[in-house]
Amino acid sequence: MAMDQQAAPLTLAEKLQSLPKPMIYGILLVVATIPLFFSVKLPNKCIDPSIDFYAQAMKLPDGSKVIICSDWTNSTRGESKGEMEALLRILMRKNIKFVLLSIGDPQAPQVAKDTIREVTSAEELHGGKHYKEFEDYVNLGYFPSGEGTIVSINNNVRSVAQGKKDFPEGSGPKDALQSPVFEGIKSVSDFKMFFLVTASSTNRTVLERLTNCPMMYMVSGVMVPENTSYYASGQLKGLCGGVKGVYDLENLMEVGINNPGPGQITSDKYKGESIPGWPGKTNTGKGTAYYLALHFTLALLIIAVIVGNLGMYLSKRRAN
Amino acid sequence: MDYSLLKQFVAVTATVGLYSVLYKENKFYRFWEHVFLGLASGWALVILWTDVLKSGWYEKMLGASAADGNTAVMGYWPYMFLLPIGLMAYTVFNKKHNWLSRIPIGIILGLYSGQQFSAWMTYYGPLLNDSMKPIVPNTAEFFHPATVVPGTVYVSDALTNLIALLTVISVLTYFLFSFDVKSKVLHATSTTGRWLLMIGFGAIFGSTVMMRFTLLIDRMYFIWIEFVKQGLLHMK
Repeated sequence: MAMDQQAAPLTLAEKLQSLPKPMIYGILLVVATIPLFFSVKLPNKCIDPSIDFYAQAMKLPDGSKVIICSDWTNSTRGESKGEMEALLRILMRKNIKFVLLSIGDPQAPQVAKDTIREVTSAEELHGGKHYKEFEDYVNLGYFPSGEGTIVSINNNVRSVAQGKKDFPEGSGPKDALQSPVFEGIKSVSDFKMFFLVTASSTNRTVLERLTNCPMMYMVSGVMVPENTSYYASGQLKGLCGGVKGVYDLENLMEVGINNPGPGQITSDKYKGESIPGWPGKTNTGKGTAYYLALHFTLALLIIAVIVGNLGMYLSKRRAN
Repeated sequence: MDYSLLKQFVAVTATVGLYSVLYKENKFYRFWEHVFLGLASGWALVILWTDVLKSGWYEKMLGASAADGNTAVMGYWPYMFLLPIGLMAYTVFNKKHNWLSRIPIGIILGLYSGQQFSAWMTYYGPLLNDSMKPIVPNTAEFFHPATVVPGTVYVSDALTNLIALLTVISVLTYFLFSFDVKSKVLHATSTTGRWLLMIGFGAIFGSTVMMRFTLLIDRMYFIWIEFVKQGLLHMK
C-alpha cells in the first residue's frame, strides 16, 4: 500500500540540510589535497608572540645550552612536527646543545629523535653541522610524573639525569651526565631557555613549577587561546602556536626582523635592532606547505555553515 | 636494502584504514585500530621498564660497576622499600586487603598537595598581576608614537586595558552571582560576562577546527606528496 504512495520530492531547503556525509567528507579530502601540489607563498603578517619567539631564540648565545621538553607524538604531527623542525633548525644553525626529555607520552622521545635525525640530515646536505646524539644533544627519555620531574629539574637538574642512559648510534648506553651537554651545568639556570613543544596539558605542569629558567612554548592550534594569556602576562618569553606560528617562524627565518629588503618584517618592539635570518637556506617546511590548504579547508567550512543556515532559513520561511 | 617505501606503504594503508570509518564501520578499520592499540600498549610497556623502572629504580638500587666509559655507581638499598609500597596499589582488586591501596595513593596525594601551594602562586600570581592595568591615560595622544616613552599610558592603551578589566569583572560576576539576582546592574554585568565567555568559547572552537583540519592536511600530505609524489614517482 505504502509503495503506491510516491515520496514527495525534497525541497531546496531540505536538500541543503541533508547533504550526505560521505559527500561532504569527499569534498573536504579533495579541498585539503589539491592545494598541496601548488607551492604558493601567501601574504602574511607575523604576530607578536611568534616574533618574540624568534627574537628570543636568535638572541641565545651561539654554543649555549637549552632544554627541549618534547611532548607530542604522531597524533599531532601536522602541527607539532613543523614546530619542532623550525626550532631544531634555529638551534642547529646556532650550534646550541640541548637536553631532550618528555613528560607527556612514552612515544614522544622516539618521535622527537626521528625528527632530529631528519632535520640534521637535511641541514648537513646544505653544509650544516651533523648533530650527534650524546655529543650535541642528550636524550633523557620519558618521565612518567611530569609534576615531580619539573620540580626536580627546577631544584636540581643533575639529579633528574642521574642514572639515565643515552643510547647514541653505534655505541653502547652511556651515562647522560657524562655528555658534553651537561658540562658546566650545575643548576637549571645554567640553561638559557626551556622550550616546551606540546600538544597536551603539560604546558600547565611546566608553567606551575619551573621558576628558575625562562620558557618558550610551541603549542598546537587548539591551545593558543589558553597560552596567549601566559604570554601576555610575561610568563612565556615567546609563543609559537599551530600552523600559523610555524608559517611565521619560517618567514622570519628567511628575512629576520627589521632587515631592509623584499618581504621585510618589522617590529616596533625590536626597534633599533636587526635580527638576522638565513636567506638562501632551507627555511620553509610544513608551515609553508600546509598554509594554503588550511585556507581552502577553512573557506569550505565557512561555505558549509552558510549553506546549512540558508537551508534552515528557507525551511523556516516555508513553515511560516 | 631500503625499506622506507614499504614502511610508507604500510603507513598509508593504516591511514586509509582508519579514515574508512568515515564511510561506515568496517573490519578494515577495526583491524588497524587494534594494531594501533596493540603497538601503543606494547611500546608503553617497554618504555615503562627501560626509561622508568630500570634507570630510575632498579639500577639505582643495585648500583653499577664502571664499564664502557661509564662511572661506577653505589647501590642505594633503601629503594627496595619502594617495591612493596608500589605493589600495595594492586590490592585495590582484593576486597579484604584493598585498604592497603590507600597507602601509596595517600603518599601521591600528599606529595601533590604539597606542591600545589607553590604551583598555584607560580601559575596565578603573574596572571593576577597582569590583570591590574592602568585605565586612565596620562597623555592626550591616542596611538603609540614612533618612539614610545616608557611609563606612558596612551589613550589606546587605556581603552584596551578597560576592555580587559570589564571582561574580568563581568566574567567573575557571572560565576559569583549564578543565583537569581534582583539588581539590574548585576544582571546586566552577568549577562555581558556570559556573552564574552561565549565569544571566548567560539575562538577556542575555531582554533580546534583549524587544528583538526591541519591534522587531515598532514595525512593528505603524507599520502600524496611524501608517498605518491616523492616515494613512488621520485618527483621533487
